Amino acid sequence: MLRVKTGDLSKMGLLFERYHRELFGFLYHMSNKADASEDMVQTVFYRMLKYRHTFTGEGAFRTWMYHLARNVLVDTIRQNKRSAYHQDVADYADRIGGGALADEQLHKTEDVTTLQDALARLTPDHREVLVMSRYQELKYEEIARILNTTEGAVKVRIHRAMNELKKIYFALEHER
Amino acid sequence: MNDDPIDGLDEQSNMLWQRMGNVPTPEPSPEMRTQFYTMLDSFEQEEKAKPQSVWTRIQETVKQRWSVGLAGQLAYGLVLLSVGVAAGVWWQRPNNEQVAYQQRIDTLSVQVGEMRQMMMLSLLENPSATERLRAVSYTKDIPEVDHHVIDALLTTLDNDPNVNVRLVTLEALADLAHDARVRERLVQSLTRQESPLVQVALADVMVKLQEKRSLKPLRQLLRQDGLNYLVKIKLEQTIKELS
Repeated sequence: MLRVKTGDLSKMGLLFERYHRELFGFLYHMSNKADASEDMVQTVFYRMLKYRHTFTGEGAFRTWMYHLARNVLVDTIRQNKRSAYHQDVADYADRIGGGALADEQLHKTEDVTTLQDALARLTPDHREVLVMSRYQELKYEEIARILNTTEGAVKVRIHRAMNELKKIYFALEHER
Repeated sequence: MNDDPIDGLDEQSNMLWQRMGNVPTPEPSPEMRTQFYTMLDSFEQEEKAKPQSVWTRIQETVKQRWSVGLAGQLAYGLVLLSVGVAAGVWWQRPNNEQVAYQQRIDTLSVQVGEMRQMMMLSLLENPSATERLRAVSYTKDIPEVDHHVIDALLTTLDNDPNVNVRLVTLEALADLAHDARVRERLVQSLTRQESPLVQVALADVMVKLQEKRSLKPLRQLLRQDGLNYLVKIKLEQTIKELS
């Protein structure tokens, strides 16, 4: 990134190849919208180029990338508040294969759908730490840096997020 | 909380944590890569096409090269500079105060000297011999004796009715003998003095100053009728020493 900062913009291609999947995964699990997530990935890389001078070189590039991604996510939610935090079932069904599903797969899919719905209903703070920890496999220390908090606070937040998820999940399951 | 929160989950939460792994993450579409490189290319073109003034280039260079490390170095440099300036100011301040203090003292000294001179000239006119003695004693405290004072002292030496005043005046004038006019007037005063005490004192001053011009008036004084015997001996001795 420091090469990009000093004017070698072509090096941004390397960063894209290395991080775009991870970034897409984070944004997808935060928004449940694949198309929107692709757009957001694009926006994040655009902002990296535009605001490259703000990358100090202190700390990891990954941390800076997540900072930008969270900002883009917030901006997108503001612009499209109605749909950003609700799962798009049709979109999801398209992605996992669709067509005639066996009963087991259907049952599994229902479980996943309920879980996905429960995740979508978490408060953004709780959802964010779970996505970062479970899907992005970030260390607590890294999450703490991204969220600008302490490792202990991250652990507490994850614990509370799981309790909230459990309540929502079983409530949804009971309804169904 | 140092323990891993996942390790401390209850059975249901742990089950959910495991099931979260079943939520798939779709692959981004191939178009995303195409779109990215298109965006990157157009961004590069825009950057190249952007007309850059010298000022903009400087700003860009600063932005590009700016980092926390550089900021730290700059801050460190500024702190050092500030400390240096503060130390300089602190170091200079006592000197300035000292200089100002010295200037005030000098000014006061000059003013006091002027006052003493005025007092001296005024007191020399006083009818009281004691006051005139005090006036002459002020001469030593005047930093720079001007011609007004010298004239007043010479007049006193020749004309004051009190012997003690004349003797003290002679003493004061002897200290001012580096002035040629004073020396000349002291020599001339030899023949004008009638008091034996003053005559003897003047003879001593002539010896002290090694004033050979005094030989003529000394011999002239020696020829005077009714000259005090002790004065006569003193004058002869003085003439001998100066010859």
